[in-house]
Amino acid sequence: MNGTVATVGRDLGRILEALGGLMLISLVVPIVWGEYFLLPALLVSALVPLAIGRLLYRRFKDAEAPGRFHGMIVAALGWFSVGVFGSLPFLLIAWSVQLGVPGVATPAGTATLAAFTDPLNAVFESMSGFTGTGLTMTDNEEVLPRTLQWWRTFTEWVGGVGVIVLTTAILSRPGSGSLTLYESEARSEKIHPSIVSTVRTIWWIFILFTFISILILWLAGMPIWGAINHAMTGLATGGFSITDNSIATYDSVAIDFALVPVMLLGSIAFPVHYLILQGDLRNLYADLQTRWVFGYMGIGSALLWAFLYLAGPYETPFAALRYGLFQFVSAATCTGFQTAVDATNVALGGWPSYAQLTVAFAMFVGGAAGSTAGGIKLIRGLTLVKGIRHQIADVFYPESAVRRLEINGRRLNEEEASREFMEAAIIVVLWITFLVVGTFLLLLTLPSGEYSVANVLFEVASAQGNVGLSAGITGPDSLPTLGKIAFLFHMWIGRLEIIPVLVMLRTVFKRGGLYR
Amino acid sequence: MTPRDLPVVSVVFDAGADDRVFDSLLLVGPLIIALIVALGRSLVTEVVAIAYIAMFVGYTLYQWVRT
Repeated sequence: MNGTVATVGRDLGRILEALGGLMLISLVVPIVWGEYFLLPALLVSALVPLAIGRLLYRRFKDAEAPGRFHGMIVAALGWFSVGVFGSLPFLLIAWSVQLGVPGVATPAGTATLAAFTDPLNAVFESMSGFTGTGLTMTDNEEVLPRTLQWWRTFTEWVGGVGVIVLTTAILSRPGSGSLTLYESEARSEKIHPSIVSTVRTIWWIFILFTFISILILWLAGMPIWGAINHAMTGLATGGFSITDNSIATYDSVAIDFALVPVMLLGSIAFPVHYLILQGDLRNLYADLQTRWVFGYMGIGSALLWAFLYLAGPYETPFAALRYGLFQFVSAATCTGFQTAVDATNVALGGWPSYAQLTVAFAMFVGGAAGSTAGGIKLIRGLTLVKGIRHQIADVFYPESAVRRLEINGRRLNEEEASREFMEAAIIVVLWITFLVVGTFLLLLTLPSGEYSVANVLFEVASAQGNVGLSAGITGPDSLPTLGKIAFLFHMWIGRLEIIPVLVMLRTVFKRGGLYR
Repeated sequence: MTPRDLPVVSVVFDAGADDRVFDSLLLVGPLIIALIVALGRSLVTEVVAIAYIAMFVGYTLYQWVRT
């Protein structure tokens, strides 16, 4: 018990120190943009996690090295703590503007910023950022101070790297897609053998892709501040925007199409990116998940295009293609950028139910394991489909037959196949269970008759899949308090693929004596 | 003293891609973005941005042909 507390405490301390460091780096933004009234609030926001983190680290610095069990608890507790402490800039900046900063000219507050004086809204925004969800408590992002626009973007970008590190280097396990996928003959198990060099590799790929994405968006016509923010949140498949109507604000065909490859980059497993950058381009089609990223996005977009053009709200095939392709890729990569809004065309919430459910299905499946995307992940979906087919075909073979399940070029024996199938099935069952419970809960708390079941299911799937597309339910006033708390939980478990959160909760409850 | 001995450059070369071209792209990327911020949209900045992306794509394809 004490050993676990010490190990978890030490690592949690390091995470909080890093969070404080990120806030200190962000002090550059108010200085560059001349938002000096925000400096005290941001500085205090940085010092709190820094001090607590330092305290924890010094107290437990001699703790034992973490094992897989500790890794899960640290990941779950770390993400939760970062979500909570990451809310401080929202909360303190909102209150600074509300109360005024002595000796510094403070601009008049806005209703959007005032929403963050409520700690729950601030935590919601922060958790949405660090989990890469993108659901927001803001009414109009454009009126936020540049510093908060940056902090929202930065939370998603850092959260994006964090989840790649988590799934590729720390929580690799059978069925997770990140361990087994790269175990086959042609690939090494992870990007590199050690966690440190894996993290280092992920960082340089992610930073390089960020620069490329910024320049692509800028060349497509986006102003540079928008390009920086949207490239970071697009690559991290987070979806926070700095404009009121997300990407629809630009109403530009070039920008819509330029963002599609940026989102796709984020949804491909980073170990595959590494191999491609080494010149092994075969992985674009030889890797099962990457092949399916393109196949499934292509089929899904074509289906959505057909729904939207043949029976939906768009009158030209090109308009249906433009909005259908963008929204399907945005949903399936779990980015959550929106071009379908009432201001420019027809909002997602106004699409026919079957079109909404197609988008919800995309959010459910998500992108590749080892990427920044959410959902159940392609590898699990494919493992389930192949596993079910394998089980059914088993009936037609004699009992003595030795059969193997083939996934991504690997031939699994009975035991391995069973383990892979079981893990994938557990995650999917848990995912659906939480989705259904969350939908019931939200239906109970929302005003009756205001939203359809499709709207509610869509919103919960969006939160749990870390997508961020909204049917119009999420907002500081429209989402009830219980719904906000439930969504915090959905975003948290969605990001950590459920199991680590359940392991942490079980440990806390059991060791805290709350149940035996 | 070589450029590699400069503080930021040495960090990128030590912790970066272990590849001269990708390391250079990592170093030049922020400078190009700063240039765009300073000069705005012009023919020069657009050409520089296109050259950066072309370098990245071209080098990846070159790696593919070489292997």
